Amino acid sequence: MNSAHRVHDIGGVEGWGAVPYEPDEEVFHYDWERRVFGLMFQVLSETAKRPGEFRHALERLSPEDYFCSDGYYGRWRAAMEVLLDEYGHVAKDELDDLLGVERGTGPGHRVAGVAEVDPQNLPPDRLTPKPNHRTVRRELEEASQFEVGDRVIAVGNNGMGHTRLPEYVRNIPGTVVKLHPAEVLPDSTAHNLGERPQHVVCVAYRAKDLWGQDAEEDVVINVDLYENYLAMETELS
Amino acid sequence: MNKQDDHHHGVDPNSPEVRTEALEDLLVEKGLIDRGRVDALIERFEHDLGPMIGARLVAKSWLEPQFRKSLLENADRALEEENIKGAEIEHVEVKANEPGVHNVVVCTLCSCYPWALLGLPPSWYKSPEYRSRVVREPRKVLQEMGLSLDAETEIRVWDSSSETRFLVLPERPEGTEQLGLEELAQLVTRDSMIGVAKAKVS
Repeated sequence: MNSAHRVHDIGGVEGWGAVPYEPDEEVFHYDWERRVFGLMFQVLSETAKRPGEFRHALERLSPEDYFCSDGYYGRWRAAMEVLLDEYGHVAKDELDDLLGVERGTGPGHRVAGVAEVDPQNLPPDRLTPKPNHRTVRRELEEASQFEVGDRVIAVGNNGMGHTRLPEYVRNIPGTVVKLHPAEVLPDSTAHNLGERPQHVVCVAYRAKDLWGQDAEEDVVINVDLYENYLAMETELS
Repeated sequence: MNKQDDHHHGVDPNSPEVRTEALEDLLVEKGLIDRGRVDALIERFEHDLGPMIGARLVAKSWLEPQFRKSLLENADRALEEENIKGAEIEHVEVKANEPGVHNVVVCTLCSCYPWALLGLPPSWYKSPEYRSRVVREPRKVLQEMGLSLDAETEIRVWDSSSETRFLVLPERPEGTEQLGLEELAQLVTRDSMIGVAKAKVS
């Protein structure tokens, strides 16, 4: 199964309607959204601490929980319930019992398990100086294998594991426009397989290359990709 | 087992209000969270952070060409010099709109956003409609949202797929030559720094 099946990976997916736009809207619409936001940080410090782990919990939710009618903070609360259950703090039926509702209806009953990731499919780990504060950035001795102007193709695929490669750019050629600071690799850290830090490469894609000749004119989509996702276009042709 | 509290009576137990409140009660009871810390965090993110931080940077860059240059060339250093730090700005890139070029930011995979510069993101930014469509048909989406761009204007979409966060530097509106920093900052809306609106004299 490839990443086309990931619930969250919706860049370019057709069928969605008008953006529910409200100019300069408030960041919270209901008090419960505030509470979910505030609870999350302490819950995360007891559960999903590794980079990418919380995002993977969101991505494992069933479509009905991911796109739930309670919106973004409803999704967060669902992921929080899942993590609290998986880390042994609040069993998935405990909340239902407390509320006197039927068991088996919470998001923990619909979530997919943490995906199995084969470390052989990840780039090797490498030692980097330990940062003196909490950060995902790392200093790599080796320069990136890519330079601005290179034509590259993203081919990486982490199965159903966590990844930051959007499906819509996979197998499409693009041009390197910038190198960002190196970071730990979320595809690895989310699965507790080490930091495996990577250079981060900003790749520009022409809309017509992504969407075909009917795409809008003069549109460029820039996507930040971890170096291990990429190969030179010439190597693949 | 039914430990239903009084304050959970008479309301839909599956409503987000009730379920969230029950979860919070349970976490407090288990000693996993401290309500005071939750309150303080909400207060900080709702009131201390917000688009006024980014707006000040934009206004300053309109007034000081040297600051604009450093913001565009090395935003991390510029933010350090401005003593701006906090969540979700591990590495920042500022993208300037100019005649013929318009920038717009999205996170198609989740909802990444420069919290310490703009506060928390609005709902529409996190919606599947925006996330799915703005990379495929940005000109149409922006038009629907009230921003019509010339056909000749190139659109650059920035998908926040790594920990780099993007801020759009909108163009300074005409007729604002007399305004100072504070007045200019008032013209810079959150939406103009995401790239779905322009800064304008209201």
